[in-house]
Amino acid sequence: MKVLLVGEGSREHAIASAICRSPQGPKLYGAMRLRNPGIRELCLRSGGDLILGDSMDPGFISKAADRFSVDFVFIGPEEPLFRGAANAIEGMGIPCIGARREAAEIEMSKAFMRRLMWKHKIPGRLRFQAFRDLEDALAYIEEYAESVAIKPARQAGGKGVKVIADFQAYLSKEKGHVKTEHARAIETKYMKGYTDIEDRILIEERVEGPEYTIQMFTDGDSVAPFPLVQDNKNAYDMDIGPETGGMGSISGRGMLLPFITQEEYEASVDIVRRCVKALEAELGVKYKGVISGQMMLTPLWGPTIIEFYSRFGDPEGVNVLPLLKTDIVEVMEAIASGKLHKVKMEFEEAATVVKCFAPRGYPERRDLAAGHPVRIDAGSIRAMGCDVFYGSVDLTPDRGMITGGSRICEVFAKGDDLSEISDRVERCSPLISCSDGWGVFHRSDIGSAPLLGRRIEQSNLIRDVYRYRMGKGLVGTEVDWIPGKGKIVHSAW
Amino acid sequence: MAGIIGLYGYDTAWKMARFAYYGLMALQHRGQESCGISVYDGERILCEGRAGMVDQAFGEAELEGLRGWVGIGQVDPEPPMGRPRAKPSFAKGPVGLSLVCDGSAAGAAEAARERGLSAGDPQGALAELLSNGLAEGDPLDAVEGVAEALKGACNFIALTERGEMIAYRGELGVKPMVVGNFGFDYGAIASESCALDVIGADLKADLWPGEAYLFTPWSIERRRIKRANPKYCAFEYVYLARPDSIMNGKSVYEVRMRIGERLASESGIGDVDSVLAVPETAIPFAMSFSNATGKPIGMGFVQTGRRVRSAIRPTQFERLVGVQLKLNPIRSAMAGKKVMLIDDSVVRGTTTKNTVKVMRNRMGAKEVHVRIGSPRIVSPCPFGIEVPDKDELIAAHLSEEEVGKVVEADTFHWLSLEGLVDAIGLPRGDLCLGCFTGEYPLHGDRI
Repeated sequence: MKVLLVGEGSREHAIASAICRSPQGPKLYGAMRLRNPGIRELCLRSGGDLILGDSMDPGFISKAADRFSVDFVFIGPEEPLFRGAANAIEGMGIPCIGARREAAEIEMSKAFMRRLMWKHKIPGRLRFQAFRDLEDALAYIEEYAESVAIKPARQAGGKGVKVIADFQAYLSKEKGHVKTEHARAIETKYMKGYTDIEDRILIEERVEGPEYTIQMFTDGDSVAPFPLVQDNKNAYDMDIGPETGGMGSISGRGMLLPFITQEEYEASVDIVRRCVKALEAELGVKYKGVISGQMMLTPLWGPTIIEFYSRFGDPEGVNVLPLLKTDIVEVMEAIASGKLHKVKMEFEEAATVVKCFAPRGYPERRDLAAGHPVRIDAGSIRAMGCDVFYGSVDLTPDRGMITGGSRICEVFAKGDDLSEISDRVERCSPLISCSDGWGVFHRSDIGSAPLLGRRIEQSNLIRDVYRYRMGKGLVGTEVDWIPGKGKIVHSAW
Repeated sequence: MAGIIGLYGYDTAWKMARFAYYGLMALQHRGQESCGISVYDGERILCEGRAGMVDQAFGEAELEGLRGWVGIGQVDPEPPMGRPRAKPSFAKGPVGLSLVCDGSAAGAAEAARERGLSAGDPQGALAELLSNGLAEGDPLDAVEGVAEALKGACNFIALTERGEMIAYRGELGVKPMVVGNFGFDYGAIASESCALDVIGADLKADLWPGEAYLFTPWSIERRRIKRANPKYCAFEYVYLARPDSIMNGKSVYEVRMRIGERLASESGIGDVDSVLAVPETAIPFAMSFSNATGKPIGMGFVQTGRRVRSAIRPTQFERLVGVQLKLNPIRSAMAGKKVMLIDDSVVRGTTTKNTVKVMRNRMGAKEVHVRIGSPRIVSPCPFGIEVPDKDELIAAHLSEEEVGKVVEADTFHWLSLEGLVDAIGLPRGDLCLGCFTGEYPLHGDRI
């Protein structure tokens, strides 16, 4: 069995590890943009190989699959899916874990996703407006927008989302200015160069609550979920600082997080499952691969979709892939043959913590963050009961590593108690450094008791509110009264 | 005492002046004579200091003119002295910066002179010192150098022409300072958490005594500059802070409610008909006193004009005007009744005496018992709180019984020192109780 893995980040390193754990002894091949040292080692050790090139390009991926004559392709990141990599691979008659171009639209186009949810009346949906023209978006902001999320209508590498709470009338002018400037930035910066979508800007109602990610495999008919994970997006401790791609994440023992109930978990699975079925109904294609719901517990619905991923989250995938006891190759085969319902997903009963390490300058100034020689003492990290997954680093010819500008690596550990695991990961932090003295930072508080306490407190509060609203028949519904217009019911039903 | 705030936009699209303005309004109780805001717009620092309260001093035009994604501000109990723009302080170079400060920057002027820098007022000297240190290397190393020179209890926030914002809380932690955050949009430092609430930011933590924060366009760092030797000001909890603030992890409102309970348990409640508070600080004391004793609470006074901190007005005349305007009594709340009057402090005794006299002589209260939610104030504050000199403090000279006679109360009691410490709920060793004891956390100095 030969498997080609596409992608070069920590998430793909974790997928590679899971594949290499298979008792079937697959040979791993890598198609990647950078020499990720972790994936490279696994490829070579398993008797496989790797090839460097534009890992987003379906042509390159097809060529790699052909060259290594692989039996399976696993596509890690979203961008190759958006460009039709899965279609190309399936066209070659090779089974592929990764959604076809049409189905991956659920991540690529946020407007498509919302329309789908509204059309099929799937719970956990938000009110939105999509704009093809900047001026229309600006006019809308001027007239209506209060507390909103303003997003690029296309998934743009996770960048360009701004959520503005606009409650204080006395600060509205400043917030309005930022909303307008951000809408312009979406047009001129974040959406620049994307010609594969007509919608440009999405404006959604802003909701508030604890976020969590539910990741699952699907063959288009049934879903096989992983334990819930929570990522932390602010750059610095205590949820301070700008938004990043994620600075670290936790999962609890079993399928739940300490602040999400069984009922909420099941509702979340159900929302994603219904979206998968809705996709088939709309497009006539089965979704085969990984689908993840970026969820939030909101006063409006309880479990609510913020975004979809057509892949594992990063870092969220790194939490749960190491826990998978079921042979991932068996799962891949079941997805390909449409028999995922026959596979029982088994996980090690452990809580996990992942902390991301990033060079100073990330996320705002990746130009400053890139190009620094970096040392990661993987041996000592493993000796301390942790594991490391390589991210944005490139091997140099002399077997050294330099930073690529994004997160350098992710350190993973598992155990019984989140704060103990967090401490264990913390002790690894001196083992990751730039040898030119450039700073490396991470969040020390991921998995800590105070941060978890805040999440629990917030969840309890939101849960009380949505249950109250449920009792009043207000799920998915908002009632206003406007002088001269009377009662206005915004109902999702 | 002063109120300070610093705001750091994570996106240059933000204009922070209005956030500073409303944040300062929430800190107005910490200084009402002058105020100022500085912003950094990516090229230069714009600095605007004025006399008066924030909403009088700054209009729409000023706020619109102060464009910048980094902003700091200060409200100050001192009128602007000398130059019209004394606060925020400004240092031209070597690294241009503007600085706001709460507390006493004692030691800064001497250190500045030693280094041959121009040193005017202590806050200005502090700005010069920091500016010089920043030219030499790592910004947090520079804070370390400045912290060495400071001898009082001082917190400061500076913004630089390099786009940095630096905040430092003195190692004694006498003055409060918190850090907050708004989404992925801006970080905030403020004297009290109520300022964060008003601008919609979330309170994240108190700065540790001796801790510094450094915000740059591409990083946020914090460092414990000096070893913490916490001596949190107890008077903040009794009087200075707003009840909606959370300070050193303790809710000021909850502390004040516990003070009221403590007052009820420490001294006989007497046979009173109702409990009345002298607005505004004493209201939670009176509410919980009433809850604890079962004696109904009433509303005894209505304030005229804006909220003025009468005890810290600069002159006796202004204090008197402040008090009289603040305390227009409601006759039917007290006429013919035995009343328990609760106030927050007695400094000179004149205010209390006036109040009791009006209640008894003009409103017809039958009995007026007085309870004070603070222990005896016997000593001035070396850390910049406007407590008068010792010879003006009635409690430093007269016994409780004698004060009761001066103010003509039927019974009169202060809160005990132990009562205050218990109500605050922090270890006694972590508190500065200097104004109640005359012992200060400055190398054992007595003043």
